[in-house]
Amino acid sequence: MATQEELKKIILDVLPDVDCVIGWGPGPEPLCASPYFMRNPEDVDYLLAGPASVHNPALFLPEYKGRKTGVVVKGCDSRSVVQLISENLIRREDVVIIGFPCAGVVDASKIAAKLGPYGEPGETERAIFDKDALNLSLGGKELSIPLSEILADKCSRCKHPGAVISDYFAGEAADALQVKDDFTDLAGLESLPLEERFRFWEKEMSRCIRCYACRNACPLCVCRDHCVASSREPHWLAQANGVRDNLMFQVIHATHLAGRCTGCGECQRACPVHIPVLLLKRSLGRAVEQLFGHHAGLDPESRPPLLTFQMEETNIKEREW
Amino acid sequence: MRIGVFICHCGSNIAATVDVKKVAEAAWGMNDVVYSTDSMYTCSEPGQQAIEEAIREHKLHGVVVASCSPRMHEPTFRRTVERAGLNRYMFEMANIREHVSWIGRDKALNTLKATELVRMAVEKLRLNRVLTPKKIPATRKVLVIGGGVAGIQASLDCADAGLEVVLVEREPSIGGKMSKLDKTFPTVDCSSCILGPRMVDVAQHERITLYAYSEIDSVSGYVGNFEVNIRKKASYVDWEKCTGCGACTEKCPSRKTFDRFNEGLGATTAINIPFPQAIPKKATITAGACRQFQGKKCGVCAKFCPTGAINHEQKDEIVTVKVGAIVAATGYDLTDWTVYGEYGAGRYPDVITSLQYERMLSASGPYGGHIKRPSNGEEPKSIVFIQCVGSRDPSIGRPYCSGFCCMYTAKQAIMTKDHIPDSRSYVFYMDIRSPGKGYDEFTRRAQEEYGAQYVRGRVSQVYPRGDKMVVRGADTLLGLPVEVEADLVVLAVGGEASRDAPKLAEKLRISYDGFGFFMEGHPKLKPVETNTAGVFLAGSCQGLKDIPSSVSQGSAAAAKVMALLSRDMLESDPQTALVDIKRCIGCSKCVKVCPFGAIREQDLRGQIKAEVLEAVCQGCGLCNATCPQGAIQLSHATDNQILAEVEALLCQM
Amino acid sequence: MSDVTREPAGTGRELRLVGFLCNWCSYGGADTAGVGRFIQPTDLRIVRLPCSGRVNPLFIAKTLLYGADGVLVSGCHPRDCHYAEGNFYARRRLEVFRHLLPTLGIDPRRFEYTWVSASEGQRWQQVVSKFTEQIHSLGPAPRLPGAPELEWMQSGVNPA
Repeated sequence: MATQEELKKIILDVLPDVDCVIGWGPGPEPLCASPYFMRNPEDVDYLLAGPASVHNPALFLPEYKGRKTGVVVKGCDSRSVVQLISENLIRREDVVIIGFPCAGVVDASKIAAKLGPYGEPGETERAIFDKDALNLSLGGKELSIPLSEILADKCSRCKHPGAVISDYFAGEAADALQVKDDFTDLAGLESLPLEERFRFWEKEMSRCIRCYACRNACPLCVCRDHCVASSREPHWLAQANGVRDNLMFQVIHATHLAGRCTGCGECQRACPVHIPVLLLKRSLGRAVEQLFGHHAGLDPESRPPLLTFQMEETNIKEREW
Repeated sequence: MRIGVFICHCGSNIAATVDVKKVAEAAWGMNDVVYSTDSMYTCSEPGQQAIEEAIREHKLHGVVVASCSPRMHEPTFRRTVERAGLNRYMFEMANIREHVSWIGRDKALNTLKATELVRMAVEKLRLNRVLTPKKIPATRKVLVIGGGVAGIQASLDCADAGLEVVLVEREPSIGGKMSKLDKTFPTVDCSSCILGPRMVDVAQHERITLYAYSEIDSVSGYVGNFEVNIRKKASYVDWEKCTGCGACTEKCPSRKTFDRFNEGLGATTAINIPFPQAIPKKATITAGACRQFQGKKCGVCAKFCPTGAINHEQKDEIVTVKVGAIVAATGYDLTDWTVYGEYGAGRYPDVITSLQYERMLSASGPYGGHIKRPSNGEEPKSIVFIQCVGSRDPSIGRPYCSGFCCMYTAKQAIMTKDHIPDSRSYVFYMDIRSPGKGYDEFTRRAQEEYGAQYVRGRVSQVYPRGDKMVVRGADTLLGLPVEVEADLVVLAVGGEASRDAPKLAEKLRISYDGFGFFMEGHPKLKPVETNTAGVFLAGSCQGLKDIPSSVSQGSAAAAKVMALLSRDMLESDPQTALVDIKRCIGCSKCVKVCPFGAIREQDLRGQIKAEVLEAVCQGCGLCNATCPQGAIQLSHATDNQILAEVEALLCQM
Repeated sequence: MSDVTREPAGTGRELRLVGFLCNWCSYGGADTAGVGRFIQPTDLRIVRLPCSGRVNPLFIAKTLLYGADGVLVSGCHPRDCHYAEGNFYARRRLEVFRHLLPTLGIDPRRFEYTWVSASEGQRWQQVVSKFTEQIHSLGPAPRLPGAPELEWMQSGVNPA
């Protein structure tokens, strides 16, 4: 792929000036790339930038605060970088941002569903992404799955497949797409009566094992070791696993991301028991959009809407009583 | 932890609708409670002694009192536990009077609610920590806002006590409403004779700095350390140079300027000194009336000013002062009476306000102290006074009694007879309200000695007939309609909160009521304090009042300021935010939202951490609610303390 | 005591209502209501906070998920905040949080926020009465396993 080769060239140019460049490299299995830290020129050979590059490399940037770091970003990743900059969690001058035109990333659970009749996705022997399809061999069979059927949901509503901010860009940068996010994912849940929605979460949260993978995958969960989920002062949650505390943790996570979440979906992707935790963040994101017209991660100069106010709020109706 | 619980009967205030003994019994079963009892009046001396004894006898670490609102007696009981050797913050209160016994009728439900409120208090107390106030330096200087009689009194008392005073007055001269009055009730002594010397004292006092024709732009800081920006409005006259000689006002060609001081009775010049006794006696140009500002060629004042003080280019100027305390004494304005169509809504020249009448009576007023009909300059023989115009009238949103109109109307009726012995005065009134020393006697004198005819009833209409005004009303005592032909009608217009009072309240961070009057700390026990430390009230800005009461409040506010600033160091409230350095990740969201600039970033071995400036922190807890990991906690209202209160209500086992 | 007020909506069986009130305005307003003997339903329990800006929306989440039927937050009117700006932030945060409730399957009417000043005793009476009525019309909130059924609340007090 031409873009990938151009990316490698850029990274080689950037590498001498930075601590490392974060991108994607070969994963444990052919269908999935891994986050990849390139320090030496020879590392760059193994770069993978394509539909398997699902991880959000912005996740690692706060740890590198104060050190000059390069980062290869999809459009969604770049919004996390912008958000981190706007919140002063990383410094713009510390990061070298390298963008490329992303064509979408795959959703492992959709692939697993497609491969179901043929075997475990982990047993895939060879996988090659071409422009429109994933070609692989599994259990001795050659399969070709159209990419459109296995792309992540977030990609279908992506307005900015190329980085919204970059120092270097491999290939042609394109304008923002005219895609409307009509929150169909939420509409599904919200077509249920309230009580059933409540029971839906009760059921989902009964599966939760409180592994905090959702939190650990979130590029904006910068508290990490100091998360309120595991502190005694303040003591918000019991450590014992229980539906109430599991749900409360998700509400904490979502509330902490209100006005900040860029919708990269890493929380939900990381969940080992497939709880649609992104829905809660999307709900708050929708509220912030409706109330303040704010989209997180587009403008590094903007102030998160919950860290500011207007004396007269245009879209907040005061309660009559 | 060993906790003692005291449930107050408050006589029958609580005990009538709460089973106090049952609440005290239930408290025995609460976490860490080792002593529980009830008492008749916990705040009384024996009540407080019982707490002190229990602390010693039962080796208590903390105390819960369930009684009235903590806004009332929390400071009282904090002192109580302190006397017995506890830290004052090892105390919690459950409000079972205002929030339970006075608002709920069902005794069983009230008792349950009271018990739960006690449990909340106990659970919170279990997490209380010893807090120690820090000493902060205080600026021994006071800002007085408003130069009416209340503000003048407060300024002089503070200055005499050795404090530096900054007095800010919106109008070009101090003196307020009192300076417009001719005489004062019930002694009928001359207003300017008693106020004038006080105004001069202000001007001459070495410790008073007067900013007239100035307003408060912004206020920041906190008790002991306020920083105030004062906007000196452009007077277009350099007051350093102006000697108040009046040459400019004599020559000014714009002679039809609305005369604010004389309530529009007569006109003044565009450049003017409001009245002969004005302090400071300096000229001010009314830009809207000045020919120069209308783009016409003029500059006459500049030509004739012997000191070259005129400066049409002058701009507003901001002066910053640091003060330790603030007294708001912004007074009142007359209610807009032109809403009353039945009184002519301002269309008839011979229907005037009581304050215009005062200017008419005043020897230094536009009529030279002669009562004349504004329409034709003739001496009126029949004068009707109408009371409660803009008072006690819910239909215009002024349901309250202004308090001083009955008295000044009696005074004006007396003055009228003095000026025009063959005149007749009629007073239409609703009730005569005269509760003050010598007040009721005074209203009787108006009727009995001076022959003013009092008619009990509201006036339904005032309209012209020929060159007379017809006043129609009813005598409700006789049950008959009344019609009086009057030469002059004087409306006893009530008062309302000074214009822009709410805006000032917002700057001072004090509360105001639905009418714009500033809220006192407690209606009985803290009449001149506010709930904002270091901000005090005097005069009609707190609620309409007459001169003796305004002066009393001026002195009272001054006494409060003196007590506050009698020491060089104040105790800071230790209920401030505190950063857990280990858990702070240096994102500085708290720094961004703090309304007081009380949090700053510090570099701790290469890592950015938040740091609270304790003296600046006001304890609002906004930072606490903002910090995602809860690394900054508001002492005495930590997340855990609030959660403990909530859990006391929800997770009862 | 005046008898101008009708009996509260919920007499007989209380629901669990928790209020978070700022000390300067709304807590004072509730005091003023008490001083004026403005009779109110008894369900609400008030937590006193310095400022509505102190209200982390997560307190509301915690309260609702752990067994309350309704939460009421009340602060100073906008522009009247004792701390100048606290209620402006609160207004944004509480409004945004309210939008999450339907997604969670919680009726948003179970959470209201409003502004009551220290002088508005009568308004406080109205707010409490209306909110209590609103929650009673919704009935008890659905509970998650582990949340108490709150039967204990009725023990010994069943006027119905």
